[in-house]
Amino acid sequence: MTTPEISCFQRRQFMATAASSLLGVSFANILMQDGFAADAPAKLPVAAPGKAQHIIYLFMSGAMSHIDTFDPKPDVPEGGETKAIQTRVPGMMFGEKLPKLSMLAGALAVVRSLTTETGDHTQAQYLMRTAYKQINSIRHPGMGAWMVNQTDRINRDLPGNFLIGNVDRHPGAGFLHASLSPVPIANADVGLENTELPKYLDEKLFNRRLVLANQFDRRFQTKHPNLEIDAYNQLYVEAKRLMGSDKLEVFDLTQETEEIREAYGKNSFGQGCLLARRLVEQGIRYVEVSYGSWDMHQDLYAALEEKAGFLDNALSSLLRDLKAKGLLEKTLVVLATEFGRSPEINANAGRDHHPGVFSGLLAGAGIRGGQVYGASDDRGFSVDSDAVSIEDFNSTIATAAGLDIKTEFIAPNGRPFKVGGGGDPVRELLA
Amino acid sequence: MKSRFSLALLIIGCFICAPVFGQKPNTAAGSKRPGAAKTKLKPPTSRLPEVSLSKQPVDMVVAPVIASRRDEVSVAANELDRQIEAKLTELKQKPNAIVTDEVFLRRTYLQVAGRIPTLAEAELFLESKSNDRRQDLIDQLLSSPDYVSNMYNFWADTLRLVQSPTNNMVADPYLAYVKDSIRENKQYDQWVYEMLTADGKLWENPAVGFQLRDDGMPLPYIDNTVRVFLGTQIGCAQCHNHPFDKWTQHQFYELAAFTTGTKTRNLSGGMEMGKAKGKANSYRSLMTQAEAKYPNGKVPGHLRRVALANSYSVFETKASLRLPHDYAYTDASPKALVEPTVLWGQVPKSALNKTPREQFAAWLTSSANDRFKHTIVNRLWKRLLGAGFIDPIDDMREDSFCVNQAAMKLLGDELVRNDFNLKELMRTILYSKTFQREATDYDVTSGDAYYFPGPILKRMTSEQVWDSILTLAVQNPWPFQRPDAKDFAPNIDVDLSIATLESLEAVAAKYEATYFQRSYNKTIQKFAYQGNVLCRASELPSPLPAGHFLRQFGQGDRETINGQAATATVPQILAMLNGPITHVMLETGSAIYDNVVEAANAKDAMDLIFISVLTRKPTADDRRVAVSEMSRAERPGIAYGNVIWALLNTKEFLFIQ
Repeated sequence: MTTPEISCFQRRQFMATAASSLLGVSFANILMQDGFAADAPAKLPVAAPGKAQHIIYLFMSGAMSHIDTFDPKPDVPEGGETKAIQTRVPGMMFGEKLPKLSMLAGALAVVRSLTTETGDHTQAQYLMRTAYKQINSIRHPGMGAWMVNQTDRINRDLPGNFLIGNVDRHPGAGFLHASLSPVPIANADVGLENTELPKYLDEKLFNRRLVLANQFDRRFQTKHPNLEIDAYNQLYVEAKRLMGSDKLEVFDLTQETEEIREAYGKNSFGQGCLLARRLVEQGIRYVEVSYGSWDMHQDLYAALEEKAGFLDNALSSLLRDLKAKGLLEKTLVVLATEFGRSPEINANAGRDHHPGVFSGLLAGAGIRGGQVYGASDDRGFSVDSDAVSIEDFNSTIATAAGLDIKTEFIAPNGRPFKVGGGGDPVRELLA
Repeated sequence: MKSRFSLALLIIGCFICAPVFGQKPNTAAGSKRPGAAKTKLKPPTSRLPEVSLSKQPVDMVVAPVIASRRDEVSVAANELDRQIEAKLTELKQKPNAIVTDEVFLRRTYLQVAGRIPTLAEAELFLESKSNDRRQDLIDQLLSSPDYVSNMYNFWADTLRLVQSPTNNMVADPYLAYVKDSIRENKQYDQWVYEMLTADGKLWENPAVGFQLRDDGMPLPYIDNTVRVFLGTQIGCAQCHNHPFDKWTQHQFYELAAFTTGTKTRNLSGGMEMGKAKGKANSYRSLMTQAEAKYPNGKVPGHLRRVALANSYSVFETKASLRLPHDYAYTDASPKALVEPTVLWGQVPKSALNKTPREQFAAWLTSSANDRFKHTIVNRLWKRLLGAGFIDPIDDMREDSFCVNQAAMKLLGDELVRNDFNLKELMRTILYSKTFQREATDYDVTSGDAYYFPGPILKRMTSEQVWDSILTLAVQNPWPFQRPDAKDFAPNIDVDLSIATLESLEAVAAKYEATYFQRSYNKTIQKFAYQGNVLCRASELPSPLPAGHFLRQFGQGDRETINGQAATATVPQILAMLNGPITHVMLETGSAIYDNVVEAANAKDAMDLIFISVLTRKPTADDRRVAVSEMSRAERPGIAYGNVIWALLNTKEFLFIQ
């Protein structure tokens, strides 16, 4: 078999030529997926007015204490050391460690009545991210995968779904196409690595090697039609598309001024939020920034001192920045965690797991800010009014982004699933 | 930070300008400069770390298989096959064909040694005419240090082995202990019993690391222990009666009552964290002195760590457990005393006069406890065949579907009959035809049960990918081993009850110079290439940073039991396409480079490249492609480099047939 000469490197031309003449069956199918496949779901046009075109999802992994952040209880012992401060919104109080966010309360919808069913981190994180309980026989998609599945791709070079921070235990694309999985960025400072060819390798040589790889691999791939292998093939397409793209500059945080970088905070969460803003500017649909170590079973106030400060700086900078760039009216910002922490302080000066009631935030496109929705009881122990289930919370997020929460999508195993898990969006939260 | 090769000069000697055929290296990669001055011929220097360049035997004495048992193992393996085949026949399914020697070779090396074979190892096996060659290979690999490295990774994922489960705990000796227990093939029930009942500090009795993994969380400790060793999930019952299975919250507490007396901190005189309550303890008083001494009260990190690390010490006291204050069921009152009671069966008679913690351990590890033996059988079966007899392997319930009860029971009985010898159990599975059949493309989410017509086709684990690439890249993929209790003790041990600030500082200084993570990481950098320490995964720090190749390929942060993943991601692909780890083997002095240089001709070179990377000879099609590539390349070295890179980027490389 002769290899065609590839004289000039035009990625798409290469792909088209290669697919038609050389590459395995699954590869050609993947190219077809690039908006043209007959069986791809119909994409929604640019989002309906007032709806979010992007979502920045900030996940506080490990279970953020609700009492010490957005639902302070200064008048009872369960409130611990956290004093309450008045925010910009009359009657809305935050924990004292969040002064900057309290200034932006007018933009925030605070949900104080979230409630979940499990106190196990892995299960609760899965439930929060997918709106479904984790079971062995299926992998459910995360919200990001649903979103890119249902919307146009704004940025042609970069995938539409990203995950910054700790990628462990993330459901990814679940049963949806692997190409919809979030691209994991372990470290915002470092960004996406290995996107450039080594210096000795020019594009022509690189392409030749790729062609060789596919030729050698043909027999194996033909013999093994396999979802896992297919996932790799799909992502090869994404990887090659972004290589050499000038859009990769999005990862270069040094393009921001020192002032901005310091405002967000020179820590993994702060820089993660900054990268999220940059990605959204480039048209990325969904960015999750996962920020861990909230599992404060011991010495909570020592740990919270720094962490709450990082959260306060990063989220307030993010909101201000998005607003300044005209992005807040197109972007939904979510602050979520898997469950809350116990009102009782334990023997190690910490709080333990508490699924009964906890808090989350929504801001930006599709959301009516400046309100508190739902309430916990006076000790922060259980829901007092307007309970919001995880399915309801996810359905609210999906509705704010104009996604379809009513249709039952059939997974490969024949079971039906909905974006948002079949919950009811909370009307009062939506703009 | 983008991965760059900063100088074209560095490429001298790499496969772009390979001196394979005695050509002089160019000073600029790929450029042709007619009339350029002749450069003086100098052997290209390798950029690989010195110690990686030559083969070294690994300093490790490994418990071998019991040679005299071969026939017995064959008999057991045959019986296993009979059970598997009987079930397949019953369902009108057929077992897959037995694999070729090439496929068997690669699969067995990966599953036992954790890596692909070297060229020499592959050729040795493929040229052997012995009828016993497969069993000989299995026995040889099971008895090798490679087996220890491989099984360490298996246990690291299951036991969540990390160096610092909580702030300032130094658990490294425990990690080395797990590896050592594999090395000596410790009897499995005794090993687990040891981990559940050990006392002391981590460098005195490193087995305590298991009980310290969930330090400060005595109820999740029970949940995790039952899940790891009994394949049963009772965690939901910690807070309420289990929604799907039969366990009640009361039962959870009854089980937890056995270990409620286990203490994990000894601060000499009270161990309240946070504020010092009541009488001062040694740790607190030493830290107060330290805070007074250092400017702004900023005690150096290594000093605080040594002090705190010495406070972790496991011992058992007499204590009782009460139901929580918000216990909501009618069968008992909140805060009622709980009597230690096992979930099923009973505490073995021989343990009735032992402490509660020992009773729990005796019950869990008893040969009469079916779930104990069936769980390890399932775990090892899944590791080798791709799924358990009961899947998931750690969520067994009374009504769980078992695809082959007879086969699972057979292996469980074999294990007990052979004194819980894990190596012999693996040997039995490996000898079977079932293990040696062709792999199937099976998807667990399809909803169909799998009856093992062969193993399931799976991607290599992250450690198998890494260790295999090292095998191709360096002659010595194992230049150092992780430090153990003997290494740590003199550099960290302090008796807090008699220590003064000076004596504490003296030890802290030793710790800082040796195993304090920052210093240790610097030490092992001498084994690094482009910042990547070139050593087998089992010896690297744990957990690794999130951007490390091993993490990218799914190794995980080891905060979840069996948390590793094998899903495809874009960063993995970028790493394989452009990253230093793929290019390391194109360096001078790499193992594969050395082999290619010695090849007699182009055909031999291509053959050995295929055997090295894919453990097979090229097919006729492959040869045609290779020949075509040779004819296009400016120099053979370029063709070799391209083919090596191409083969590394096939799915055939990444998946285990």
